[in-house]
Amino acid sequence: MSTSHDDSAPGAARAPGFAVKETLEKDSRGAPPPLLEENFEFLGDEDIACSRYYSHEFAKKEMELMWGRCWQWACREEHLPDVGDNYVYNIGPYSVILVRSSEDKIEAFINSCSHRGTRILGGEGSGYSAQFTCPFHGWAWSLDGSLKELPARWDFPHVNEQTHSLQSVKCETWGGFVFINIDPDAKPLADSLDVLPEHFKHFPLERRRIRLHVQKVLPANWKAAQEAFMEAYHNFETHDSPSGADAQYDIFGKYVSRFIHHIGSYSVDSLEDYPGDKWRRPPLSEDDLLNILSVFGLDAKGIPEGETARSVAAEELRSKLGESLGIDLADTSDTIMLDSIEYHLFPHMFFFPGITVPMAYRFRPNGDDVDSSLFDLMILEPLAEGESHPEPPEPIRLEIEQSYTEVEALSWLGSVYDEDTGNLQLQQQGFKTSRKPGITLGNYQEARIRRMHMTLDEFLAK
Amino acid sequence: MEKVATLEDIPQGKTLCVEIGGKEVLLCHTSEGVFAIDNMCSHAAARLCEGKLKGSKILCPLHGAAFDVRDGSALTRPAVRPVASYKVSLSGNDILLAIPQ
Repeated sequence: MSTSHDDSAPGAARAPGFAVKETLEKDSRGAPPPLLEENFEFLGDEDIACSRYYSHEFAKKEMELMWGRCWQWACREEHLPDVGDNYVYNIGPYSVILVRSSEDKIEAFINSCSHRGTRILGGEGSGYSAQFTCPFHGWAWSLDGSLKELPARWDFPHVNEQTHSLQSVKCETWGGFVFINIDPDAKPLADSLDVLPEHFKHFPLERRRIRLHVQKVLPANWKAAQEAFMEAYHNFETHDSPSGADAQYDIFGKYVSRFIHHIGSYSVDSLEDYPGDKWRRPPLSEDDLLNILSVFGLDAKGIPEGETARSVAAEELRSKLGESLGIDLADTSDTIMLDSIEYHLFPHMFFFPGITVPMAYRFRPNGDDVDSSLFDLMILEPLAEGESHPEPPEPIRLEIEQSYTEVEALSWLGSVYDEDTGNLQLQQQGFKTSRKPGITLGNYQEARIRRMHMTLDEFLAK
Repeated sequence: MEKVATLEDIPQGKTLCVEIGGKEVLLCHTSEGVFAIDNMCSHAAARLCEGKLKGSKILCPLHGAAFDVRDGSALTRPAVRPVASYKVSLSGNDILLAIPQ
């Protein structure tokens, strides 16, 4: 127990009781080295202006200077297995076509006809065509973007392949995700990934498949929406859960941050100044904790001598999920089996290396509406050894008023996501209600949110 | 009903163009079964057999318009009109089709 802590400097204080790291150090299989790393620095304690969440002027700058110039994942490689497969990704006014133009090449183009501007492909998502043909006058391009057909060419002596091929968009892949950057002068993707390539060598996301893709409209600015997922501080009040007051937070650079929120264990002391006696007097027993973990589909009832709820749950999941996924999980650590480990990549992407908590998130503006956003939630299931990616499922679309519990495949997570997103409308309204001009952040637990705003400001200042 | 192919001719996820009554018909083998639609796109008459089956959608090679192979309905622009769909029966491994009029 490390209850003593030099918390005199701002940002140095931590929750009382044992730290996540101490849980990870007791892992029955040894936690992967990146998860034992800690990386935190105090980033300041000034308020963040509320207007950033609702000002049209701010959103316009953000669209032009940030969304128009940052790397963002558009789709997964498994969306584009064959030559001619395409995917349309929209962000604000921008629309990009990604296409497998040859066996070993994915390219991206601005989704606009070089004749009179029409979007060549409507909507968003997966498609296929052997060439691109504009539905207005029938101009057509090869999959590599070169102008191919021009009906009534006699009328366009001023048009040729050099002047009117599709405009190329920068496109790179990492971890099975296909990223685009609308800025023709953008630096390589690797410059924006910080520690991700190094850390995810241990958790290869390219060897995952999309098991489920849910896309929902949320009633808040995209930043507020994603910020509801960047800290575990809300767990006590929002989820009625004992854990989260003691999560670990890391800042790895301008672009990448992380939390490790351990599941099936909590520090009773971390709740010392929380209201009431709940989960403190008396604290939950290991049996109580195992009972909470039963949402993972566990059958285990008792905890043998010398074991914990975590070790029992992890062991049962190793054999159960190992069998159903066709993967040998015998050496997989307790933390990867159980915990909510969340990496954030600027500006709006989240990757989870876990097996039971295996998500990827993306939060975007909903068109030009500052008060709503689009949340893409994917369950990325590990792929059995030697197995190739199956055809990915179409996204299930939920509108603003719908509940996650309508998606049966989400199971117990449906109500959790409803809780996570249930405060967003009140917060979006409250930004405008507040007499205080800014929101206040915790120095440690909410530092990832501050890091995101700092990097956003760097884009806006350019 | 007339036998036009066998299940061995069309692995699941694939299509096969057959000619029946002087008309090209596209057989589509999805996870929900085998369906038959006109092979000509209702928009610009491209041959759907040169497109791609994704789930229960067929995508036209020319503009990428999507049709639901289960009933021929047009799902995305630029196609707005459905393509004809035909009743398919299975007899053992044989795929039987009512001759389009």
